[in-house]
Amino acid sequence: MVVETALMVGVLVAAGIYLMLQPSFVRVLFGFILFSNAANLFILAMSGDPSGLRPPLLVEGAKRMVDPLPQALILTAIVIGFGVSMYLIVLLYRLFLDHKTTHAGEMFDPQRDARKVEEAS
Amino acid sequence: MTEAPWSNLAVAPAALGLLAGVVLLLVRGPVLRRALASAACLAQLGLAGWLIRLTLDGDRMVLGVGGWAPPLGIVLVVDLLAAIMLALAAVMAAACHLYGFFEVSSKAEHPLRLPLWHFLLAGINLSFTTGDLFNLFVAFEVMLIASYALLTLEANDWDVKQAYPYVAMNLVGGSLFLIAVGFVYGVFGTLNMAQLAQRLAEQPDHPVVLLAGLLLFAVFALKAGVFPLYYWLPNSYPILAAPLGAFYAGMLTKVGVYVLLRIYGTVFPHDLAVLHQLMGWLAALTMVLAVMGAVSRGFVRGILSWHILSQIGYMVVAIGLFTQTAVAACIYYIVHHIIVKATLFLAGAAGACRCGSDDLDRVSGVARVSPWLAACFFLQAMSLAGVPPLSGFWGKFVIIVEGIRLGQWWWVAAAVAAGVLTLFSMLKIWNSLFWGEPGEAARRPADARFRGMLAACLLLTGLSLVIGLGVGPFFHMAETAAAAALDQAGYAADVLGIAGKGKGAP
Repeated sequence: MVVETALMVGVLVAAGIYLMLQPSFVRVLFGFILFSNAANLFILAMSGDPSGLRPPLLVEGAKRMVDPLPQALILTAIVIGFGVSMYLIVLLYRLFLDHKTTHAGEMFDPQRDARKVEEAS
Repeated sequence: MTEAPWSNLAVAPAALGLLAGVVLLLVRGPVLRRALASAACLAQLGLAGWLIRLTLDGDRMVLGVGGWAPPLGIVLVVDLLAAIMLALAAVMAAACHLYGFFEVSSKAEHPLRLPLWHFLLAGINLSFTTGDLFNLFVAFEVMLIASYALLTLEANDWDVKQAYPYVAMNLVGGSLFLIAVGFVYGVFGTLNMAQLAQRLAEQPDHPVVLLAGLLLFAVFALKAGVFPLYYWLPNSYPILAAPLGAFYAGMLTKVGVYVLLRIYGTVFPHDLAVLHQLMGWLAALTMVLAVMGAVSRGFVRGILSWHILSQIGYMVVAIGLFTQTAVAACIYYIVHHIIVKATLFLAGAAGACRCGSDDLDRVSGVARVSPWLAACFFLQAMSLAGVPPLSGFWGKFVIIVEGIRLGQWWWVAAAVAAGVLTLFSMLKIWNSLFWGEPGEAARRPADARFRGMLAACLLLTGLSLVIGLGVGPFFHMAETAAAAALDQAGYAADVLGIAGKGKGAP
């Protein structure tokens, strides 16, 4: 299970970073979503005390219990990641409405800006 | 150690920010909203002053949230360093609120600006007070989400695209932080900073410690804007409205520097020479390259935005030197820099407002029509460049002396060169904006709002002069703060010593 999770995290991170390096902002968005999920999965894989100790809060008779802390951490991280993804999507939509493109090269092209100023005047 | 019930105050700066944010969201009238926001700022200011008084002799205030004893629950810690940073955040918020109130009439102000500002303040304050790595992540995200929203709230169609790199870079930083947190938890089995410090100290030479340190450094260097991770900053800050720009310039990157100090001073072992060397070299490069970026720009806020980065270099080089005096100089420099930088942003914006433009080719002669504003700008620009006896000189002086003492000649050379180039680019603004014959727009009589904007600048300049001329007590305070921040054993004993539920659990 450890090896599979490690491979999974590795593939997700690689795919996420590949997409984030693309010039299209839509791909950057998808890359970010993959990357943040890779981070969540990574925390899940870190469950359990490395020294083999039990979870911190114990009641009588509870011996085999999953480490609850990473799950709480991931829950928080998912909520935050969800909110931020929403913001990013809305920002992207606004950029698309303003510039009619989601391609970084076209959006930041100074000649295109100049042409637009000319058209407006 | 400060005992209960006073230790409960540790939660107040963040809680007050959240409370103010929620209340301001619900209030409808713009005038009432402004009154409440001002009251919240003043309360923050009073609170921060009180916290400084309680921690002034090197005490720590520790609060186990919900009554759980560390390391089980979330823990909040306020020491002198955190209290100083809280006070700076409160001063900045108050001064920038004041400026903003005069710059825009209450009806024209976006109704979400003040609530978001107080959420931003809550995030900043929480990252100063937290004693837990994951809670720090949450605080960063609260701060960043509020900052994204403020950045694009009032931006026009042309500017809003500059926000995208800022958002994208910080999102990557956030996810990287999450991975670093997972890594630390998996390897050391704790996220509580005090317990982490103990566990790291048990095996300081283990390569995993260095790896965790490097991973966290990448995250915080991105937040602080250290070379080569700073490209998101200089294009995105100029799109903000002047008071917000000043607040961002003052506070946001300094949160990154504060966290670097906290993590490498209080948590990680002090003998990570590789990491300190790396910090010093990257900081030296940051200083020189960023100041060159500033020289290359042709509008006021663009130049000042690059200067933020260049000054970050001084603070990080001080952390790289890593002696107690250097850390004290770093803290003093943070105090100096936040105030000076914000004043320069405000004064530059007030001057540009007077001329109706931000472009250096189209403005001139503000010194003739508004000598007080020019005096503010001049004093703060000289302070930024490090001319004695202003506050910037003392910080730079101690950092350079420590650099010479440790034989780091290249870092010292970079610091001196960056100082000279800073002076040069400040003169560029000065010559264009303030010197010369006033233009058509500037010669018109100032409108009523200008006086209030000037008042905010004068207030901050006065504060900066006090810090520069009264360097003795302030530097002494920075030394106490540095000693408390670097005392790892004392920190761990104080934090882990408090009583609470679940004490002594495995």
